[in-house]
Amino acid sequence: MTVPLTVRDLAKEYKTPGRDPVIAIRGISFEIQQGECFGLLGPNGAGKSTSMNCISGFYPATSGSVKIFDIDVYAHPKQARMSLGVCAQEDTLDTDFTVLDQMVRYGTYFRIPVTEGRRRSLALLERFGLDGRKGDLVEQLSGGMRRRLQVARALVSEPKVLILDEPTTGLDPEVRRVLWDVISEERLKPVAILLSTHYMEEAERLCDRVAILHQGKILDCASPSELIVRHIGSREIDEEIRAGVRWKRPPNLEDVYMKLTGSHLEKNP
Amino acid sequence: MTGWWGIRCVWLRYFDVYRKSLFYSVVTTFVEPLLYLIAFGFGLGGLIKTIPVGSATISYRQFIFAGIVGQTILFQAFFEAAYGSFIRMYYQRVFQAIATTPITLREVLWAEVIWDASKATFAASAVLLIGTAMGDFSPIGAVIALPLCFVSAFIFAGLGVLVAARSRTIEDISYPQYLLIFPMFLFCGIFFPLESLPKMLEWVAWALPLTSVVSLVRTLTLGLPFRIQALPLLAVWLLVLVPWSRRAMSRRLVK
Repeated sequence: MTVPLTVRDLAKEYKTPGRDPVIAIRGISFEIQQGECFGLLGPNGAGKSTSMNCISGFYPATSGSVKIFDIDVYAHPKQARMSLGVCAQEDTLDTDFTVLDQMVRYGTYFRIPVTEGRRRSLALLERFGLDGRKGDLVEQLSGGMRRRLQVARALVSEPKVLILDEPTTGLDPEVRRVLWDVISEERLKPVAILLSTHYMEEAERLCDRVAILHQGKILDCASPSELIVRHIGSREIDEEIRAGVRWKRPPNLEDVYMKLTGSHLEKNP
Repeated sequence: MTGWWGIRCVWLRYFDVYRKSLFYSVVTTFVEPLLYLIAFGFGLGGLIKTIPVGSATISYRQFIFAGIVGQTILFQAFFEAAYGSFIRMYYQRVFQAIATTPITLREVLWAEVIWDASKATFAASAVLLIGTAMGDFSPIGAVIALPLCFVSAFIFAGLGVLVAARSRTIEDISYPQYLLIFPMFLFCGIFFPLESLPKMLEWVAWALPLTSVVSLVRTLTLGLPFRIQALPLLAVWLLVLVPWSRRAMSRRLVK
C-alpha cells in the first residue's frame, strides 16, 4: 500500500537579490502512514511553516521531493492536492462569503458538487459547533471560531492527508480542546496528519511521532515517550519555577528540545 | 499545466462576490462612466457642437462618448486589479487559500486578470449601449468594439496586478495612480484630438496604451481613420504587461 505522505531530503533556501541566501530547511525526510499524526515541533523560525508550504506544493523546494500517495506534488500538483487538506497558519478565510457559502465554495475547488459540498459543510459546521453561525460573515466570528472554521474548511474535501500549521496557536484552552478532539477523530478515519506546533503538550497529546525541528534540521524523530526516555530518561525533573520555589515534575518534550538545542520552545524568536 | 476548469472556478468566485453585492457592484461599475457621459457628453458637448478630427468633423458628444469607452476600460480594469488584487493577496489571502487546493496559482492569477478585464468590459458595454441608443455609435461597430474592449482591458488589468505585486502597502498604489493612470486619462485623446498637442507630447501619448485603445474604439464606432500603429502598440503592451504582472505576483506570493 502506498504511503500517504513521503518527504525526502526536502531543502529550501530563500534567495533575495543583494542578500545572502537564507537556508530555511536543510534536507528533512519523513513518512506519514494512514491514521498517523506526525508532529513537527519547534519554535518560531525553526522552519515549520516553510516545510508546510513546501509540502503543500505552494513553495517550490530547492531540492528533495514530496509525494502524496506516490504523486509528486511539484510535478503533478493538481492530482496530488486532490487528497490534501491544508489549514495554513495565517487566517485565509474568504471574507467575501458567509461561513456556509465559503465552505461550499472551497469544496468546488476540489470538484465537489454544490449539493454534496453543502451536505458535508453542514455536517462539519455542526461538528465544530458553528452550525448556529452558518449565515454569518467571517468578520462577525471570534478568533476561536475563525480558527475552527479554517480547520473545518480544510476537511470539506475529506482529505486523506491533512496539513495543520499551528492550528491552535493563540486559542483559549476550550477551543484548543475542541480542535484536539477533531484531530483525534480524523486520525481514526484514518487520515494521515502533519501537525506543526510549538506547544509540547499538544505534540505529546496528539502525535504518534514527533520530529524536533531546529534551524531547518530534524534533530531527532520518534514517539514523544521514546524521545523523552532517549534524551532525558524517566527520572523526575527538579525545577525552580520562581525564586525560592522548587518542584518536581515528569520530564516532557520541552526538556528534550532544551537538551537537544540549548533553548526553550516558546521563548525562541 | 493551466486548466480552464480551474480558471473558470475562480472566475465564478469573483462573479458570485459581484452578484452578491449587486447594488454596490452596479454603482461602482456603471455610475462613474455614466457621470462622465452626462458631464462631458451632454454638458461640454452642449457647448462644443462639432470637432475636427483629421479630415473629418464629428459632434463633440460622439467624440467624447468613444473616449469614455476607453476611460471606462482603463479605470475599471486598473482599479479592480490594483486595489482588488492587493486586498485579495495581502489582506484576504484568497490567492494563497485557493492555490493550496487542486487549483494552481497560475490559474488563480489568470482568473484574476480575466475577471478584471470582464468587469471592465461589463462597464464599457454600458457606455457602448448608451452611445448606440443615442445614435452616436454605429451598432455593428459597437458590437465589434466589445472584444477589443475585453482584450484592451487585459493591458490595464495586467498593469494593476503588477502595481499590486510591487506595492508594499495599499497606499503605494497611489503613486502609479497619480503619476501614470491620471496622466493617461487626461492626455491620451479622450477629451481632445491628440493633434492639438505639441508633436513630442503626441508621440509620448501614443507610447501609452490608452491612446491606441481610444483610437481603435473611434475607428470602430465612429468610422474614423484606422491608425496603423494602434494594433501593434496594443499587442506589445499586452504581451509585456500580462506575463510581467503574473510573474511579479507569483514572486510576491511564492518565496
